[in-house]
Amino acid sequence: MIKLLLRRLGQGVLVIFVLETITFFLVRMLPGNPFLGERKLPQHIMEQLNSLYGLNESALVQYYNYWKGILLHGDFGPSLVREGMQVTEIIAESFPVSLALGVVGMLIAICIGIPAGMLSACYRNRWPDACIMLLAMLGICIPAFVVGPVFGKTLGQLPGLSVAGWDSPLCIVLPALTLGLINAAYLARLTRGGMLEVLTQEYIRTARAKGASGLRVMFIHALRSGLLPAVSYLGPAFAALITGSFVVETCFQVPGMGLHFVNATTDRDYFLIQGLVLCYGILIVVANLIVDLVLIALNPRLRAQGTA
Amino acid sequence: MRVLTGFLCILSGILLSSCGDGKSSAEKFAAEKILLIGNNSEPQSLDPHKATAVADGKIIATLLEGLVRPDPAQEAGVLPGAAERWEHNERADEWLFYLHKDAVWSDGTPVTAQDFEYAYRRILHPQFGGRYAEMLYPLQGAAAFNKGETTWEHVGVKAVDAHTLKLTLNGPTPHLPQLLLHFTWSPIPAHHVEANGGMFDRSSRWARPDNWVGNGAYVTEAHHLNNYLSVTPNPKYRRAHELKNKGIRFLPIVNGYTETRMYLGGKLHISNNVPPEMISYAAAKAPQDFCRDPYYCTIFYRLNTTKPPLDDVRVREALSLAIDRDALVHKVVRGAGTPTFCFTPPGANYRAEQPAAASLTQQEREQRARQLLAEAGYAGGQGFPTLELMTTSRDVQRIMAETIQAMWAETLGIHVEIRACEWTAYKAAQQGMEYDISSSSWSGDYLDPATFVELWRSGGGNNCTDWGNPAFDADTAAATATGDAATRCHHLQQAEQRMLQEHPIIPLYHSERTYLRSARHIRGRQPRLLDNFPLDAVEVVP
Repeated sequence: MIKLLLRRLGQGVLVIFVLETITFFLVRMLPGNPFLGERKLPQHIMEQLNSLYGLNESALVQYYNYWKGILLHGDFGPSLVREGMQVTEIIAESFPVSLALGVVGMLIAICIGIPAGMLSACYRNRWPDACIMLLAMLGICIPAFVVGPVFGKTLGQLPGLSVAGWDSPLCIVLPALTLGLINAAYLARLTRGGMLEVLTQEYIRTARAKGASGLRVMFIHALRSGLLPAVSYLGPAFAALITGSFVVETCFQVPGMGLHFVNATTDRDYFLIQGLVLCYGILIVVANLIVDLVLIALNPRLRAQGTA
Repeated sequence: MRVLTGFLCILSGILLSSCGDGKSSAEKFAAEKILLIGNNSEPQSLDPHKATAVADGKIIATLLEGLVRPDPAQEAGVLPGAAERWEHNERADEWLFYLHKDAVWSDGTPVTAQDFEYAYRRILHPQFGGRYAEMLYPLQGAAAFNKGETTWEHVGVKAVDAHTLKLTLNGPTPHLPQLLLHFTWSPIPAHHVEANGGMFDRSSRWARPDNWVGNGAYVTEAHHLNNYLSVTPNPKYRRAHELKNKGIRFLPIVNGYTETRMYLGGKLHISNNVPPEMISYAAAKAPQDFCRDPYYCTIFYRLNTTKPPLDDVRVREALSLAIDRDALVHKVVRGAGTPTFCFTPPGANYRAEQPAAASLTQQEREQRARQLLAEAGYAGGQGFPTLELMTTSRDVQRIMAETIQAMWAETLGIHVEIRACEWTAYKAAQQGMEYDISSSSWSGDYLDPATFVELWRSGGGNNCTDWGNPAFDADTAAATATGDAATRCHHLQQAEQRMLQEHPIIPLYHSERTYLRSARHIRGRQPRLLDNFPLDAVEVVP
């Protein structure tokens, strides 16, 4: 098990390194630079700014300096647009917001998506199944930029809830619901698929033949294996949720990381893009690692392979 | 640990929170006399030498007081700010400003003329790299100093004593007080900047909200990225007793749809912008609150005059005449503008002379456009190459481009391709002259026609059309050289007319600001062409 863990960690470090390297060179190939504004800067000012931030060096030297800063000093660089702020400060301020939103959104997704998928599997090809799958399909097809404003306009009028903004703790409800319902739709379909596959297995038939009740068969015998596809989806989905969603954050004016992701790219805020990609990469690697461990715990065959 | 603490705070907040008391944020904050205002975008910096955005300027105006301040009672009026009075010589190229002797920074240190000199030296210093340093180029020797060609002693800024500042300008500048209203002319606390990394340290923390020292009506209270920045009255401010509110919250809401929904949901007292698509909705929902103010801004198309066939003035004029500006303004931007054939918006005692085309009917213009295109060798659009019309990815710009594309196809029989770029790529292409036709806008930095007309000087950094005309340059130079307001105005009008006759640009409309302002909670706010009404003169009432 430890060997597997170490191997996965090693792969994760490599993935993050490659991700950062590709991002580093790609963003520098984009047209424009961080200092472009409404007014054209005189050449001497542009040169001075480039020199101050080391952007006048060749891309390879900048790349070397970037890693040197991180590895030797833990310095992820400054924001080139919000001068005076460090990348780490920006991430540290916005990440808790996205984390809280992601956790609540994911809880909503799990609490709605998995029971809905199980119910759907139980009533396969009957009207509850059709209704749930229709709703799930709608949840997948209708984009967040439609769901968000509709929730804001309707539910946002309820006492305590908020049309948008981040000035009271309950402001989290509607954006989390928007994110949660979209993910619940995916989870419902995945859970249904997983459960249907398991429910046709011979050991389930055996359990039924032995007189196990429907609920017991469902929760004790089938659920563990039936959840495997949903669990595989949860890892990357959770990482994506807690690094923010630009659309939902824009619709509800949530000060999370998603806004930084898009704005840093359009503003060519090189160091901030790098920092955010690094953060996202680490979260994806960690989330996938946790998913692997959960899958091993749920699936005895994988556990046997892991131990071997 | 900080991340974990923040996360736990938010989660515990949710658990502990109870349902609201039925009052909206606008009502609650109005009761506390705190103004909630939509401010378009997250500020880049509160350091007036690093900030460039209009949104930054609005916050800085509450935190720092320049030599003069805008008069809330009249458009283009100025009142004594940090300077209690001023005088100038007959040519208006030497000005003496006498500072209030009792003025202090928010940490109690006196505000001196040396602080102003320090500030102007910093923004102009080539080692600092001030992005808006050009705003101070009217100062004698400033441009040369900024380029590293001369020393500070040759720049026309001198602290005569602790409370007297002398400014020497390149030429007569009777409109200097208007220039001084821009945030780049604000003072900075030299002692505080020196204690936080010094003059050239761009990563200095002196202007961070948690470390702020200023001489304005307010000081920073809290800043949460992409959420809000709040300011609270500065007890050391000279006129602190006159302040009507207990604070201002600036909300950086980029998306106009979200902002309008937030306003209508009781989250703001003043919004920044109602997008054209929401104008009729917002006006119907809140007729008392909906505002439509003139704005010192022109929407126009730049033409790359180096690229054939746009190097032919007849083609450029034909493209201009074929656009039905009335239809564009009424159908695309839903009336949020005034159709125009001129570049400089009316204001500041200046009105550009309308070209002859303005007095024709649209049918006559279109006929003339077809005739001009035929004279240029493209009768009915035959043989006309496919040009590219570059816009930003903003909805209104894309729709406007599609409308104009259709107008040109219908009237002239020519086809243009639309290229919608994200903002930085768009600016890079425009400034690098890598375009055929580029949708553009220009808003005045200060209330004076020169901020518009001088854009088109030969080789000017923001010209971006490669058009130039020695006679135009001579006119603008003559305007700069004279101290007489009427003569100056005449030269600028003449220059603008020369430019418009050669059509390096296609003026479309002078835009208007559409926004929402709570008639119930807001008192004393007046429309301003530069949208710079002083917020310390706005009162929030319950």
